[in-house]
Amino acid sequence: MSINSATSDDDTPDGDDESGGPDEVEARVGLRYTLKQVRQDTTARIGTYIVGLMTFVAVFAAFDYYILDYAIAEAVLYNPETDPDQVRRLLPPVGMENQFGQGVLEHPLGTDHRGRDLLSRTIYGTRIAMTVGFLATAIGLGGGTVIGAVSGYYGGWIDDVLQRVTETIYAIPFLVLVIAFMTAFGRDLTFAMIGVGITAIPVFNRLIRSRVVSIREEDYVEAARAAGVKDRNIIFRHIIPNSFAPVLVQATLQVGVSILIVAGLSFLGFGAQPPTPSWGQMLSASRGYMLPAPTFSIFPGIAILITVIGFNILGDGLQDALDPRINN
Amino acid sequence: MSLLRYTLRRFAQAIPVLIGIVTITFFLANQIPGDPVEIMLGPTPAQEQVEAIRARYGLDRPIYVRYFTYLSGVATGDLGLSIYYDRPVLEMIMLRLPVTLLLMLSAFAFAIVTAIPLGVISAKRRNEPADHVSRIVSLIGVSTPSFWIGLVLIIVFAFYLGWFPARGLVLPWANPADVRGAATQLEVLRQSAHHLFLPMIALGTLQMAQITRIERSSMVDSLQGEYVKLARAYGVPESTIVRKHAFQVAQLPVITIIGLGLSTALGGAVLTETVFEIQGMGRLIITAINNQDYELIMGTTLVFGVVYVVGVILTDITYSYLDPRVTYGED
Amino acid sequence: MSEPLLSVRDLKTQFFTEDGTVRAVDGISFDVNEGEIVGLVGESGAGKSVATSSILRLVDSPGEIVGGEIEFKGETIFGLEADDDGELRPRDEMLTEEEMRKQIRGREIAIIFQDPMESLNPVFTVGGQLREFIEINRGLDPDEAKAEAIDMLREVGIPAPESRYDEYPHQFSGGMRQRVLIAMALACQPDLIIADEPTTALDVTVEGEILEMVTDLQEKYGTSFIWVTHDMSVVAEICDRVNVMYLGEIIEQAEVDDLFYDTKHPYTSALLDSMPRPDRTVDELRPIEGVMPEAIDPPSGCRFHSRCPEAREVCREVHPEPRDLSEEGEALHTAACVKHDAFDVGYDESPPIDTQATGGFSAGFTETGGEAE
Repeated sequence: MSINSATSDDDTPDGDDESGGPDEVEARVGLRYTLKQVRQDTTARIGTYIVGLMTFVAVFAAFDYYILDYAIAEAVLYNPETDPDQVRRLLPPVGMENQFGQGVLEHPLGTDHRGRDLLSRTIYGTRIAMTVGFLATAIGLGGGTVIGAVSGYYGGWIDDVLQRVTETIYAIPFLVLVIAFMTAFGRDLTFAMIGVGITAIPVFNRLIRSRVVSIREEDYVEAARAAGVKDRNIIFRHIIPNSFAPVLVQATLQVGVSILIVAGLSFLGFGAQPPTPSWGQMLSASRGYMLPAPTFSIFPGIAILITVIGFNILGDGLQDALDPRINN
Repeated sequence: MSLLRYTLRRFAQAIPVLIGIVTITFFLANQIPGDPVEIMLGPTPAQEQVEAIRARYGLDRPIYVRYFTYLSGVATGDLGLSIYYDRPVLEMIMLRLPVTLLLMLSAFAFAIVTAIPLGVISAKRRNEPADHVSRIVSLIGVSTPSFWIGLVLIIVFAFYLGWFPARGLVLPWANPADVRGAATQLEVLRQSAHHLFLPMIALGTLQMAQITRIERSSMVDSLQGEYVKLARAYGVPESTIVRKHAFQVAQLPVITIIGLGLSTALGGAVLTETVFEIQGMGRLIITAINNQDYELIMGTTLVFGVVYVVGVILTDITYSYLDPRVTYGED
Repeated sequence: MSEPLLSVRDLKTQFFTEDGTVRAVDGISFDVNEGEIVGLVGESGAGKSVATSSILRLVDSPGEIVGGEIEFKGETIFGLEADDDGELRPRDEMLTEEEMRKQIRGREIAIIFQDPMESLNPVFTVGGQLREFIEINRGLDPDEAKAEAIDMLREVGIPAPESRYDEYPHQFSGGMRQRVLIAMALACQPDLIIADEPTTALDVTVEGEILEMVTDLQEKYGTSFIWVTHDMSVVAEICDRVNVMYLGEIIEQAEVDDLFYDTKHPYTSALLDSMPRPDRTVDELRPIEGVMPEAIDPPSGCRFHSRCPEAREVCREVHPEPRDLSEEGEALHTAACVKHDAFDVGYDESPPIDTQATGGFSAGFTETGGEAE
């Protein structure tokens, strides 16, 4: 039915299996090199700290949610989804005052429109943002790599068809495309993730394809082909590992972009549904209370900002650190 | 080949992409669960009423027939009927598109006007305080959701300071009679600018940040170019070198980024219109989706695609106009 | 002879990098007289280009001219003096940046760069760029400058200059672009043109044509040239006098015939031996052994001793300054090598040392490794 789902759903797992083995051998070399470079670059290091912290918070939140059913949240803070005493609605952060009352220490960042603790919801919102950011990027990366590699390696009509299709997908502004996609298939988070992943396919497709086209003519690839190595193996053993550095940079930046898009989708009501805490949806709910309780609108936005900044400076740092390889 | 023929050919080349967009949106829209007729008439409508409606909107025919009917309709400028508004889709779009275009154009104007000097200064004073400030501003700009910027702007500038209105938009060409508190066209214009200011910044900030980053790196490259060394060695004043010799070459990647930014900005327009309650294309598509108005969903998505494609072609043409190395012969 | 046009004395230009100070140009002195083509020869990294950009005071950061004197037609392009506290500061008569730009660059000293593909701005027409430089440096109005530009394009052998005036650099071949750059330099009517390896990027036939053209035009206009190259055959073809540079120093300078037939420095000999010469038949060319050391950490004593086939113990210790070795009545011929009697530091008594070039320990790594075990 839809071109989009067919490519990503069917091809991605397949592609990953193929690349798993040989990719890792080369990638580990690339990875060690990368880590060394990142350690020397201050910006990249700060980016790593932020991304590391956010990932840790997200993993913790997921653990508490899936395994412990918010036991830790309730013990230390509050349950981010329910609030038994709905009296303290829209309290400001501690030390501030609004028309609903004076901020209290138990709710350091105040409460939302249903009296839930904002700090708790902001922390637990990390889970959705990071999951979606990483998985959507993985879908885009997988789909884009397969399409780009096949397209670039075989050329000819295969290339033409694949490039026309991705070009068309790219021609619909991606937020609109994801909204249309989610309207057709479902409004929940899974489809938000797949939809955002699909919009990332052209980005990786373009990157991988241009790499493949240039590497295809290299001597060692020619040699492998002359020696009778299968096309598939040439692509996955030689060409893709060689694109490690630029893909890593792009993927890092793409996680940030995906988090922004998904926040936008949640803001419009597509994505994580209440009462699950997600930043975009918190901001959406806050719209009705901007005048009486403006701080409600502030903190989820700052959480998004910090997370995305983390990925952006990590990506920029990686770019700088890996530059000699990228320019090769 | 002349610029005119190049332009025509670029538009001709875009036709398959547009057909692709129509196809994708048509099948996506038909995938939507639920029945628009049901939404329209309530859960237990009379049978003949349902059939009449179905026949009127062509829903009684098989899907491939509807696809080709729709496609040929699009070719002749007929985008069908909006069930929700009970008006031709094209009419609704014509009503809303100018609003979104106005918003987009002002956002890009704001972005370009601020980003280019910022990027140039940043490149010229690389690793000096001015550069650090500009880099931090643009980093925050690319990392902030546009709708959140909108919310913060409303809270600060509309609610607290009361400098700008929090919602709505007045079109600059609106009839003064239709605009409250405006007796002359000049006052309409003033109100329009007043309303436009905050949404423009909310939507334009991301573009501004992206253009600044590219402008900076492109100018840094260009300022290290051999042609800049040559100009220096021939006594060309430094200000001329920055403004002319280095600047013109450096704008080529900037134009490419502006073209790519259109897609983000069109998506951003949907969010910005939601935040500021502006009745543009963004709100139209959300209304269409919430009411399962097939033809309106298809029509608005298609128009978003067309706006993007036209925008990209325009940036391509600008690029080819500025870069003499682009020949109009091949691709 | 009268005052030289350009006089460089003990020029030092250094680059302050994270890894340390790179002494790219380390105390060079040379003159350029009116109407003369002076060669500046050496391997890549010898500091030739830094020397020429120092003359225009266009050394890019982190580089800086730290010492020496550059006089051009009686004007001080660069010169330092000690103030009361002993701190070095620019002399009062040293030209300001503004004066350099307005009076010297382009107007009095023009430059031709190595890479004709990158030196022209891709988004402006060739004629437009030429006209701009003529306007700036000769104070002509746009129409006069355009006429002059077209004349100059014709002069450097560009066919149909009127129509090519409006074309863009990408529409020109490499050789044609280099002709445009030469036209630029000549059109500004400077007294000195610095040609920084202008033919290196071109193929040999085009190179020949351009050298011939430059020789003709030089005679016609009487302009002086500093011709930077690493190619001894170009030197032989075009230069009147030659300065040979090694690791930031000029180690020999002489008139071109003296340099070729009465070579005084082993490095110059090595350079000459490494290229084919029409006047000699040799069994095989001998490349110079080893690579040039880094200017950040130059060898002690004579900087060439690590690669010199005639190196002796004393070469490691004594750093020779160039001295005049010419006989009575001959033209000036300086060299910086202690093997000459004029230096009198005990070269003859000093034992030879093993270097890469004398076939000692480092000649074959595996071989010596084998012996050691």
